[in-house]
Amino acid sequence: MSRVQGMAPPQRPTGIARLFEPPEIGRSAIGTRIVVYTLLILWSVFVLFPIYWVVITSFKTPNAVNQGPFYIPWVDFTPSLHAWEELFVFDYEDTLKAYLNSIIIASCATVLCVVVGSMAAYALARIQYRPKLGVILLFVVCIALAFVAMAVAGVDWWLALAVGVALFFFLARALGRHFRRTLGNGDILFWIISQRILAPIVVIVPIYLMFQQVNLLDTHIALIIAYSVTNLPIVVWLMYDFFSSIPLDLEESAQLDGASRIRTFWEIVLPLSRPGLAATTLLVMILSWNEYLLALFLSTSNAQTMPILVAAMNAGERGILWWSMSVVIIVMIIPVVLLALVLQRFISKGVLLGAVKG
Amino acid sequence: MSAVAESTGHAGRGVERPGAGTAKRLSMRNLNKSFGQVHVVKDLSLDVAPGEFLVLLGPSGCGKTTALRMIAGLEQADSGTIHLGDTDVTRMLPKYRDVAMVFQSYALYPHKTVAENIGFPLKVRGVDKAERARAVREAAAQVHMDGLLDRYPRQLSGGQRQRVALARAIVRRPSAFLMDEPLSNLDAKLRGFMRAELKHMQHELGVTTVYVTHDQIEAMTLAHRVAIMNHGVLQQLGRPREVYDNPVNMFVAGFLGSPPMNFASGRLSGGVFEAPGVRLGVRSQGSGPAVLGFRPEDAEIVASGAGTFNARVYAAELTGDVTLVTVVLGDDNLAVKMPKEFEADFDSDVGVRLNLARCFLFDANSGARIDATIEGAASA
Repeated sequence: MSRVQGMAPPQRPTGIARLFEPPEIGRSAIGTRIVVYTLLILWSVFVLFPIYWVVITSFKTPNAVNQGPFYIPWVDFTPSLHAWEELFVFDYEDTLKAYLNSIIIASCATVLCVVVGSMAAYALARIQYRPKLGVILLFVVCIALAFVAMAVAGVDWWLALAVGVALFFFLARALGRHFRRTLGNGDILFWIISQRILAPIVVIVPIYLMFQQVNLLDTHIALIIAYSVTNLPIVVWLMYDFFSSIPLDLEESAQLDGASRIRTFWEIVLPLSRPGLAATTLLVMILSWNEYLLALFLSTSNAQTMPILVAAMNAGERGILWWSMSVVIIVMIIPVVLLALVLQRFISKGVLLGAVKG
Repeated sequence: MSAVAESTGHAGRGVERPGAGTAKRLSMRNLNKSFGQVHVVKDLSLDVAPGEFLVLLGPSGCGKTTALRMIAGLEQADSGTIHLGDTDVTRMLPKYRDVAMVFQSYALYPHKTVAENIGFPLKVRGVDKAERARAVREAAAQVHMDGLLDRYPRQLSGGQRQRVALARAIVRRPSAFLMDEPLSNLDAKLRGFMRAELKHMQHELGVTTVYVTHDQIEAMTLAHRVAIMNHGVLQQLGRPREVYDNPVNMFVAGFLGSPPMNFASGRLSGGVFEAPGVRLGVRSQGSGPAVLGFRPEDAEIVASGAGTFNARVYAAELTGDVTLVTVVLGDDNLAVKMPKEFEADFDSDVGVRLNLARCFLFDANSGARIDATIEGAASA
C-alpha cells in the first residue's frame, strides 16, 4: 500500500495579501475591514444625502434655494417655515386631498391585492392544476373573435364579450377532452409573473381606453383596480414561495385534527406566513404609494395622488418650486417609513422553528 | 407477551381500561395505489383487531407510509376498501375518520403553545374552554408534559416535542392511532426510552394502532403483530416471534434481526445442499440454486474441522454483551454471535457449527422458503 506523504499546511501569504488574512478565527482582517467600511460609508452618504438635502430644502426660503447651494442650516442660511406654511396653510386643501387619495388608494389596493394574491399563491402551492394548452388557445381565439366583431362589425362590447365567453365554454366542453398537452403549476406561475415583465407604458393606452369605456376615469376605484392588478403577480410570486416553505405535515396534521381547509388556512398557514405577508404588504404598499404612470393617465383632479402633486410642482407658472416639493416629498415619505417600522417586527426569521424536526 | 395469546390481540386481557370501549377494528381489503407509473401498494389486505398494536415494517419505498396515509385519508386509494369499525372510510374526508396521526416530523403548530397544540383537535370540535383545559391537562399528564403547557414547540427538546405530538393524538380518544416513524428523529437513547413509553401508553389506552417503521427492533419490541412489506407487497404477517423464527422468504429473514440472518449461496440437488466448503444432507425434493440461512445466534465458532464447515475469520467485534465474529465462506460474509469473552485472530481458520434445527433453505431465484429438513453433514 502506498502512502501519501504528510503535507505541510499552506504557507501564510506575504505582502499586501497579508492584510486580508484574518489573524485568527472569528476576527476579520484589517484590510478587509478598511475596504468594507469605506464602501459602506460611501454608500450611506450616497443614500442619505438626498434625504438630508430634501429636509433642509424644505426649510429654505425661495431666495435661499436660488442663491444656491447652502448645506448647513443656521450657518449657510436661516431656516424658515415658509414652504411648510405655504402648503399647509394656504394650499392645504389640495395637499390634503391628494394625501387622502393616496392613502385610500394605496391601502385599498394593497389589501385587495394581498388578499387575492395570497389566496391564489396558496392554491398554486398546494393544488396541482393541469390546464390544457388547447383550451387556453381556444379562450384566446374566442376573445380575439369578440374583439374582431367589435372592431369590424361594430357590435356592442358587452354583447361581443358575452358571446365570445359563451362560445368558449361551449367549445371547451365539446373539444376539451381531445386536447392532450397540459401545463402545470410552474407554467401558471410563470405566466402570472410574465405579466410583470411587460413595461406598464406598453399597456397604458388600452388601460386608459378600458376605464374610459366603463366611465371610471379619475375615480379611486379605477386606480385601486389598476394597482391591484399590476401588483398581483408580485404578491403571488412572493407568497407562493412562503407557502411552499410551510411543511405540508402541518396542514395534514390539522386536517386529521378535524380542521376544514379554510380553518387550516386561517389558523395554521396564515399565522405562519406572517413574515411573508408583512414583507409583501410593505412592498405592494410602497409600489402603490409611489406609482406615477398609471396615476398620471387615470386621474386628473378628483383622484389625484401625491406623486402627481409632486410632479406638478415643477411645471408651475412660477418655475420649479423646490421648497414646496421638498415639503410634499417629506410628508409623502413619512407614512411609508412608519409602516415599515410597524411591519418589520413581523419580518423576522424563525417563525417555523419547532414545527418539524428536533 | 403471554397476555397477547392470539394474534387477534387483547381478547384474553380481561381488564377494563379507559378508552378501551372505543377501540375499533380496522380492515383493509385489496388496497392499491399508484403514483404515475409506480405501483406503490399492491393488493394490500390487512385486519387490525380492536386494541391491537400492528407494525408495518419495511425498507424505505416499500409502500408502508402510503398504506398508512390511505388509512388516514391523506392519499386516496385507487381501488380497495378501508373499514374502521362498521364504517366504510375509503372515501371519507380525513377529519371525519376519527383517527389520529403522529407524524415523523411531529408537525407541531409552531405558533401555538403546548396547551394550544394539544387542545387544537378539541377546539376544532367546539369543545368548551373549561372542558378543553381539563382534557389537555389530562393528556399532558399522561405523557409527563404537564409542567410545560405554556411553552412553544421551539423551546422544547426533540423528546418533548414527540410527547406533545402524542398528547395531541390521545387527547380526543380516537378510534385508531396512526404513527409514521414517530421515533426516528430521536437519538438512540431517547428512542429506546420512548419506545417503552409508547408501548405502555398504547396498552393503557387500548386503542387500535398502526405503526410504520423501518426499524426492525421497534417492530419486534412494540408490535402485537408485524406486517412486513417489500415493493408494495405484504410479505408476512404474524407475531414478532413467529416472523423471526419462521420467515416465509429471504426478504423477511434478511430484514429482521441485528445483524440479520446469514446467507450462504450454493446448490441443492439429490438431497444434498452444496456450497464452497459445505455439504449438508437435506430431506427435500427440490433442486437448483439455493441459499442456506441461519441466524448469528444459531451458530458457534469451534476449532477448525470440528464444525459444520470451515471458514476464515474476517473480524471480531465486541459489542458489549456479545462478540460478533464475521467469517468468510466463499463470497459470503457470515456473522456469528459468541460470548463476550471470545477472541479470534484476523484471518485465522475456524470451524462454524450450526444448530441445524434452526437453519433454513431458500430458493435462490424466488427467495421463497424451501420446505426442507436439514439432517447434517453429508459425506462427499
